Amino acid sequence: MTSIKIKNLNAYYGEKQVLKEINLDIGEKRVTAIIGPSGCGKSTLLRCINRMNDFIDIFRAEGEIDIDDKDIMQMDPVLLRKQVGMVFQKPNPFPKTIFENVAWGPKIHGTKDKSTLNKIVNNSLKQAALWDEVKGRLKDNALGLSGGQQQRLCIARALAVSPEVILLDEPCSALDPVSTAKIEDLIVALKKHYTIVIVTHNMQQAARVSDNTAFLLNGDLIEYSDTDTLFETPKDKRTEDYITGRFG
Amino acid sequence: MVRKGFEKELRKLEDSVIEMAETAKKSIDTSVESLKKKDVKLAKETIALEKEMDKNSLDIENRCMRLTALQQPVAKDLRFIASMLKISDTLERVGDYAGKIAKITIKTKDKPLAKPLIDIPKMAELSKEMIDIDIEAIRSKKVEGIEEKLTQRDDVIDNLYEQIYKELLMMMFERPQIISDATDLIFVGRYLERIGDLACKVANRTIYMVDGRRTLIK
Ligand SMILES: Nc1ncnc2c1ncn2[C@@H]1O[C@H](COP(=O)(O)OP(=O)(O)OP(=O)(O)O)[C@@H](O)[C@H]1O
Ligand SMILES: [Mg+2]
Repeated sequence: MTSIKIKNLNAYYGEKQVLKEINLDIGEKRVTAIIGPSGCGKSTLLRCINRMNDFIDIFRAEGEIDIDDKDIMQMDPVLLRKQVGMVFQKPNPFPKTIFENVAWGPKIHGTKDKSTLNKIVNNSLKQAALWDEVKGRLKDNALGLSGGQQQRLCIARALAVSPEVILLDEPCSALDPVSTAKIEDLIVALKKHYTIVIVTHNMQQAARVSDNTAFLLNGDLIEYSDTDTLFETPKDKRTEDYITGRFG
Repeated sequence: MVRKGFEKELRKLEDSVIEMAETAKKSIDTSVESLKKKDVKLAKETIALEKEMDKNSLDIENRCMRLTALQQPVAKDLRFIASMLKISDTLERVGDYAGKIAKITIKTKDKPLAKPLIDIPKMAELSKEMIDIDIEAIRSKKVEGIEEKLTQRDDVIDNLYEQIYKELLMMMFERPQIISDATDLIFVGRYLERIGDLACKVANRTIYMVDGRRTLIK
């Protein structure tokens, strides 16, 4: 399936360099966590993977990102974002029905057949572990859902276009522990079918859900290893200081 | 508990474990002394130390659990707490063996020793030295050469035990009336040999705590 290779990536906002010579191999059907202090470049790195930074005028990047050995700069950004879905920190459903939220992506990509759409919506909601909670009210406005439900709806929306990679930027930071646990279970379940990259400020969450963890500091990739090793015997003193809370 | 308090709790945990190690050494001393002099008072003192160590070990366990729950430690903090938990448990078992020796003293208080104690005090000295090496490593967080230092002493302890065992076996053949007392002394040798092994286990945990290596000295 889908692996991601980041090679010598440098990224800038105007004059300011925010990612420095990043080399990172992200394994397919694995959960990779990116951790690091605020402002170190986690979100920027994540947004590089589906070229969401293209929307920012002053943004500029050098280097290469390959998805399944294809350079993403050579790809149509719309198709790239179909292949690489993203979920943000704050749940951001459209002010439309639950059904419309999930059907939106497939519709844009040309699916018109009503029964196909129904099937996609059902499946996506089931995969996002939301189906049982909303099956009777697909025509209700999505904004009437709880925060945790809204976040799972956004995941369902991302899944609806059959992506191969899912990027999650602090998906649980606005959620209570119960909703967080649901999303975490979901992430672990989804890795059977998807390659997942998650940015999180919650060390325990990174330790719980991810297979690999990358530690970023001031735009440098300090350490990248399997998650158990990183949290039990990190090699770099800076990683140790950060994850044990002795930073700064 | 905020982070600064956490740091302080970790230091206090280390102090408590080192205190236990000192108590363990003391209990080895008093147990073997009590046997040597058939001194029931010293034997009772040893048993009191055993009880104290049981209590301390439980207290350390509670504090480790609490710190784990509240701070969700990772990396060196996690290794430190896990090691303190294991080391205190291991030291408690040293106390148990010292207690068993003291109980032999009490049981045989009115009888002379089957033979003068020569090798047994040597074993006691060596095992205390081993615990001292452990203490130094825990304090300094330096573990270079610790494996060699402990293995060397543990080998001597093992040989002494072998020697005691053979010697007493010979005596039992010659004088069956001392079988019971000689068996007691073989047990004492065995307990001290086990204490040497436990000192090695403490070192295994200390090495893991310091640099994450999993070793098996013994
Ligand atoms: N649109 C932008 N224009 C200019 N600078 C930006 C922009 N977005 C981010 N930056 C800067 O780039 C650096 C990295 O930001 P980024 O959002 O990637 O950090 P982050 O690791 O995700 O932080 P946080 O944990 O707070 O979300 C920061 O110094 C930030 O100020
Ligand atoms: Mg961010």
